[in-house]
Amino acid sequence: MDSRQDGIGYGSAWKRCTRVTAGSLALMLLSACGSLRNPPPKDPEALADYKAANDPYEPLNRDMYNVQMWAYHKALRPIAKAWIWAVPTPVRHSVANINETWREPAVFFSDVGAGRPRRAGDSFMRFAINMSAGVAGFFDVASLVGYKQHETDPGMTMGTWGVPTGPYLFIPGVGPTNFRDGAGYAIGQGLTPINYVPRGYGLLSFNWAYNILGTVDGFANTVDQIDHLEQDSLDPYSYIRSAWQQNRQSQVDALKDDHRATTPDWY
Amino acid sequence: MANAFSRRAALGAFAALTLGTGVAHASPATDFVTSFGNKLVAVVNSSTPLDQKKKEVLPLLQQNVDVSGIGRYCLGRYWKTATPEQQQKYLSLFDQVLVNTITDQIGNYQGVHFRVTGSSVTPDGERVTALIDRPGQPEVNMQLIVAGSPLKVVDMYGEGASLRMNQRGDYSSYLSRHGGDVNALNSALARQINNHH
Repeated sequence: MDSRQDGIGYGSAWKRCTRVTAGSLALMLLSACGSLRNPPPKDPEALADYKAANDPYEPLNRDMYNVQMWAYHKALRPIAKAWIWAVPTPVRHSVANINETWREPAVFFSDVGAGRPRRAGDSFMRFAINMSAGVAGFFDVASLVGYKQHETDPGMTMGTWGVPTGPYLFIPGVGPTNFRDGAGYAIGQGLTPINYVPRGYGLLSFNWAYNILGTVDGFANTVDQIDHLEQDSLDPYSYIRSAWQQNRQSQVDALKDDHRATTPDWY
Repeated sequence: MANAFSRRAALGAFAALTLGTGVAHASPATDFVTSFGNKLVAVVNSSTPLDQKKKEVLPLLQQNVDVSGIGRYCLGRYWKTATPEQQQKYLSLFDQVLVNTITDQIGNYQGVHFRVTGSSVTPDGERVTALIDRPGQPEVNMQLIVAGSPLKVVDMYGEGASLRMNQRGDYSSYLSRHGGDVNALNSALARQINNHH
């Protein structure tokens, strides 16, 4: 009995001990998170700037930005430069076309979700035409016959529904985003068929090549912009934050204002 | 139903109105942008060397762009805390930074076309949309915010983002990381101008 009680006593002491450890761990984590989070300033004008920036996790985001820029200078920029130097323009265009075309299903469902039939029709036709006449997306035939490329993603769709953006985030490999668009990015990946197709070594390596080449190509087109930004801005992190959030809002506004009819213009 | 109808009617009226103003009756703001744009394009398209072009553009910018207003906006809440000397120093540096940014865009082009495509009213002033055609390059869609009397350019939009707001974010972030010291910003701007080539 005693020993059992002892046992229980020991057990509960152990439990208590774990609880204390867990508690202090949680506290430590919280304080760690606390340092990753900027507290709102007291001064009303500073508070207005703080709210406009929409970036309470700024310390964490800046660390992530520095990781990304470190990778940019050490690896991504040289690779992108080599890509532009080595690969002829028509081939680079084809890589970009394949990426755009194979992303069309996600664009289509986003357009449908936003209730924009004209845009949805455009993305549907682009996918159908470019996958057939455009040889699986190598050539952008759809643009030639009047279905111009446009971007809609699930984050924008949620924006038209009135879902708030949530705080700004910088994620290495993804770039500037926020809670809403980060979730939208994940949904967009789920709506991209290529992510489900590969089975077996050949297709898997093809999928990797597709993703890596697409990323390198997309990135190569922005190298000059990033270089300019780093040269012309005193705090590139903050410049990107402001430009990206405004650009994103303007995309959502453009999607909201797109009331074009589904019939062709000449009809 | 009534709602949809009135919205459609309003949209129709709006479309008719914008079409009307866009083509037939230009507003003072669109006239201003057309004349300023044509003067700029005339300099850019001339056969003078690039350095000479940059010199010729300078008075046009000083006359038509509200440089000190934009500069004040970009300093944000730190404008009030800066001493008059710091403000003067900052404005003269900002003037050079802005001029450098714009003249960098000129390049060695010829055959540039410019036309105003429309305008709308915003709280900050009239928003005038213009298209710039450069040979062998994609068309650039530019939006200028025009306000004040006499009319001047107070902001420009690129990719849906207000450039003066981006700049303000840049400066105020730099300042808040340097204890709000406007002298630190001024020396950073001076460094930027010295490194400019």
